[in-house]
Amino acid sequence: MITKSDASEKRPSLGLRGRLVVVAMFFAANTTLFAAEAIPPKPDRYFNDYAQVVSIEAAQRLNTQLAQFERETSNQIVVAVFPKMQSDSSIEDYAQRIAQSWAIGQKDKRNGVALLVFLAEHKISIQVGYGLEGALPDATAFDIRENEITPRFRDKDFEGGLAIGIESIEKAIRGEYQGSGRTVAERNQGGSRGGGHPVIVFIVFVIIMIIMGRVQRRRGYRYSGFGGPFIGGWSGGSGGGWSSGGGDSGGFSGGGGSFGGGGSSGSW
Amino acid sequence: MNKFAIGCGGIVVILIFVLIVAGLAIGGIYNRMVKLQQGVDQSWAQVQNVYQRRADLIPNLVSTVQGAANFEKSTLVEVTNARASVGRMQIDASKAPTDAAQLQQFQAAQGQLSNALSRLLVVSERYPDLKANQNFLSLQAQLEGSENRISVERGNFNTAVQNYNTAVRSFPANLVAGMFGFAVRPFFNAQPGAEKPPTVNFNFGSPAPVPAASATP
Repeated sequence: MITKSDASEKRPSLGLRGRLVVVAMFFAANTTLFAAEAIPPKPDRYFNDYAQVVSIEAAQRLNTQLAQFERETSNQIVVAVFPKMQSDSSIEDYAQRIAQSWAIGQKDKRNGVALLVFLAEHKISIQVGYGLEGALPDATAFDIRENEITPRFRDKDFEGGLAIGIESIEKAIRGEYQGSGRTVAERNQGGSRGGGHPVIVFIVFVIIMIIMGRVQRRRGYRYSGFGGPFIGGWSGGSGGGWSSGGGDSGGFSGGGGSFGGGGSSGSW
Repeated sequence: MNKFAIGCGGIVVILIFVLIVAGLAIGGIYNRMVKLQQGVDQSWAQVQNVYQRRADLIPNLVSTVQGAANFEKSTLVEVTNARASVGRMQIDASKAPTDAAQLQQFQAAQGQLSNALSRLLVVSERYPDLKANQNFLSLQAQLEGSENRISVERGNFNTAVQNYNTAVRSFPANLVAGMFGFAVRPFFNAQPGAEKPPTVNFNFGSPAPVPAASATP
């Protein structure tokens, strides 16, 4: 802080930046003072193992399973394993606020479920969105947590516990709503970019290239070398981009669901 | 004479214009406050809803405990009485209380029920029969869920009231509010002791701490 004010004396242009730093520090101090809680940022996957307790393959598999589940039923289930809680509140309150801020579930159906695990505190919480409180009542959530997940976690079998937990939750809420065949993330990808613009542009581009190639071929193979590598270069780069973005199709995006504290939380 | 008439006409036009603008502004503010008030009433209905949900669980809980633990008569009577006193309260579910005392009374009655319930669950720990009883476990899970829902809906209610109160108090909306009788609404206070974590491993008796910002008026 002293160096900052020194700098601002020598060079007035730095004064604003120095002040901004002070303001930023003030706000940082404020949040830690009053909130004593950090809500983790929205995940971009369904299965988020921030504490590295399951294998990468299993995480991938469960993520794909959950994405598929949303396509079929429109229910969004998000799983997150955190190393520790970043809050002084009780697990129930904290988990509810996380699920609410991640907006899991569709906005109109409010059909989200969050399965949150905090390793250091040995806490599990299942949060159920308003629209699923009938299909997955507290007693069922309690049963899944207490009798399916907890025993496996006690044996350090996190992968098994999470897999069976997801399985049981899916079983309870399947049939409550009808899916649209696409996840929110997939819809957004189509919608916000203006109806699949990149794909259309690419297809149009390929068609133009093919037509040009034919025209040129008819003209006596003059530029036949030009079309080939150019198309190759394009499809390579673009294809790669697509397979990483949409190819594994496990991207999560909250649909705007809301949570009222239903579910069950506890220790293992 | 002619000039004077034109000047008068100009002033009248300007006045009409000002009146129209003022009317539109007041209308906008009025509509916004109606909307916020609607939000308060709606979240109040939700609060009532979750409290009712808890009250509905109690008869079943009492009969289950009665079967397994014959001795805890006084605790059961306490719960039943607290529930009855909550039921006696005449509160309009569709409209949030405008009177702070009324809300205070409601909160006190519900708090008493929370305490009675938490005592009941603590004593039930002493009965192994009860702890192995599937019905009791399920009721306990539902009660826990109800308590969580209550804390969430109370928080939502406080946020809605805070938004509304801020709108009613700030200038120039406060002038419109005075004109049309939009009064400041009371909200839930954190109960004494709520800032401490509960000592038993259930979360009863301590309605979850409302966020610090909305807990203080």
